[in-house]
Amino acid sequence: MSSRDRILSHIKANKPNPWPLPDVPVFESSSPDKKKLFIQILERGGSKVGCVDEINQIGRVVSSIFPERKRTLSTLGNVENTENITSLDPEFYEGTDITIVEGVLGVAENGAIWITEKELEGIRVLPFITQHLVMVVSEKSLVGTMHEAYKVLGRPDSEFGVFIAGPSKTADIEQSLVIGAQGARSLLVILTP
Amino acid sequence: MSHAKKAAIFNKDEARTDWHDASLWMVRKKRDFAVSEIPEWEYLREFASDIKSHTLSKLDEYLVAFEKAAKQNGAIVHWAADAKEHNDIVLSILNRHNAKKMVKSKSMLTEECQLNDFLANHQIEVIDSDLGERIIQMLDEPPSHIVLPAIHLKKEEIGELFHKELHTEKGATDPQYLTEAARHHLREKFHTAQVALTGVNFGVAETGEVVVCTNEGNADMGVHLTPIQIHSMGIEKLIPRRSDLAVFTRLLARSATGQPITVFTSHHRKPKKEGEMHIILVDNGRTTQLGKPDFRNSLKCIRCGACMNTCPIYRRSGGHSYESTIPGPIGSILTPGIDLKKYGNLPFASTLCGSCTDVCPVKIDIHDQLYKWRQIVSEAGLPEGGNKTLMGMLGSGLAAPRFFHRLGNLGRKMLRLFPGNERLLSFTIWTRERNLPKAPVESFREWYKKQAKNEQ
Repeated sequence: MSSRDRILSHIKANKPNPWPLPDVPVFESSSPDKKKLFIQILERGGSKVGCVDEINQIGRVVSSIFPERKRTLSTLGNVENTENITSLDPEFYEGTDITIVEGVLGVAENGAIWITEKELEGIRVLPFITQHLVMVVSEKSLVGTMHEAYKVLGRPDSEFGVFIAGPSKTADIEQSLVIGAQGARSLLVILTP
Repeated sequence: MSHAKKAAIFNKDEARTDWHDASLWMVRKKRDFAVSEIPEWEYLREFASDIKSHTLSKLDEYLVAFEKAAKQNGAIVHWAADAKEHNDIVLSILNRHNAKKMVKSKSMLTEECQLNDFLANHQIEVIDSDLGERIIQMLDEPPSHIVLPAIHLKKEEIGELFHKELHTEKGATDPQYLTEAARHHLREKFHTAQVALTGVNFGVAETGEVVVCTNEGNADMGVHLTPIQIHSMGIEKLIPRRSDLAVFTRLLARSATGQPITVFTSHHRKPKKEGEMHIILVDNGRTTQLGKPDFRNSLKCIRCGACMNTCPIYRRSGGHSYESTIPGPIGSILTPGIDLKKYGNLPFASTLCGSCTDVCPVKIDIHDQLYKWRQIVSEAGLPEGGNKTLMGMLGSGLAAPRFFHRLGNLGRKMLRLFPGNERLLSFTIWTRERNLPKAPVESFREWYKKQAKNEQ
């Protein structure tokens, strides 16, 4: 008997009586202002947040926060002083100072932004390997809670997707918070209308 | 050595015990704040518990559904009955690709399977890439907490270790500086490893996805930079629907560290181009636990560690005192089922105060199960179950009023004759650190008799 069959038959013999699967309601945020909450939670978690009226202002905001920025990659075509993704070689990305990507939706209650392989142009490692990460999110995409987020996302339409809620961090040394562990050292979120 | 003995050793350094206690209590307080932000928190716990109850009641069907969906996604699904089979599968994947170097992100399951030692014996270099895990790996110690593996270490000790291993400046203890050194060290490893292995927080039956929750970004660095990714998953990690992730991601990080969500919640569905994605479904005793009605609820655990942070015994005895992969209250109900003789002392490492049950995000009746394990340990006649002869004598004494009365008289007399001589009674643990009370002039019974006379 294979391990698969053995495990399955053990479960059949040992499992408890049927228990109904609950219908979980789509809990909504109790906060009246999703945008305000989203910004507040992101800043509390060590991220920076900027707002622009038009897409073509993104480059300026990024430059104002990183005045000495060097190599900047962007998956948004129309940002000044940025390079497009042209290589799949990891070394190409490791040397990247800043990467600008576009998130699919933002969750107000925890500051998480959903992004998938599609927006990353197939480079899954991109938001992790870059020294600094910039995520552009539309205000219109904001939802209150994770329940609303998964309702909007529905069934997966990508090979890989991730919620990113801040810069990489750790508190593994004496519970002291250190921003910038193995992933990006900082997260700048730019809200567009 | 029993938990009590290890805890006694831990407590010899009083200042350090206080420090350990305070560190964890701080995490517990952060959890309380994070929980207070969600008005429907108690409903979420109930839903989470019910979703898990439902999944366990149809675990075979959901595993088959998960396997089917994962295969459709292009993942390769393996089944491991025990730790040995799990380790053999990992090794065979490594061998097939002639890989000698593997990066690993935090996985309590691979700790349980002792994967690192096994692979080391086969000349495979394993690099734990979570900072805390890397620290304890360099020290050759097991984790002392499931979320904060190096919580027992002081920054001076880590500074000393990094000076030796990573050539940081001697005497440097700044966490920022030390973390930066580890970042450079680990980033090099991510680029040179051939295989990456992660644990799994949630497996979604309807989509075949595995979801991994981390803060450091190490799991994703490993998985996306290496061609071969392996996800080791206990069979109890399944949830039926993708939307159930909303319930569990809201509960997990708030319970664990007081964050509203982990920094990264990665949904791995398909292998990368020209890559391989392996999922290993591991039993290793879980189906046996499923067959124990009193204890099967322990399989709902989502490994947040909240029960450890709140436990007065854990906080003041440290994770290593438990000598089990998973320490603390949840470890004390999971491990006796694996080896009663070895872990039978753990259900006694509790005050049964119930705080673990109160904070558990999936409503496991932890303290009830601790109590039930104690019954089993006592019935099995293990020494931790208490002294049966003495308990029997006490039982018959309490059941005979006249004898009890005489015994009380004798006791009070002894106390008056040898006041403060509590060392006489040091053969019981109870009196080792407690003074005996002053003997009262009379017993309640004697006093009551007098009152009755006075009233007449």
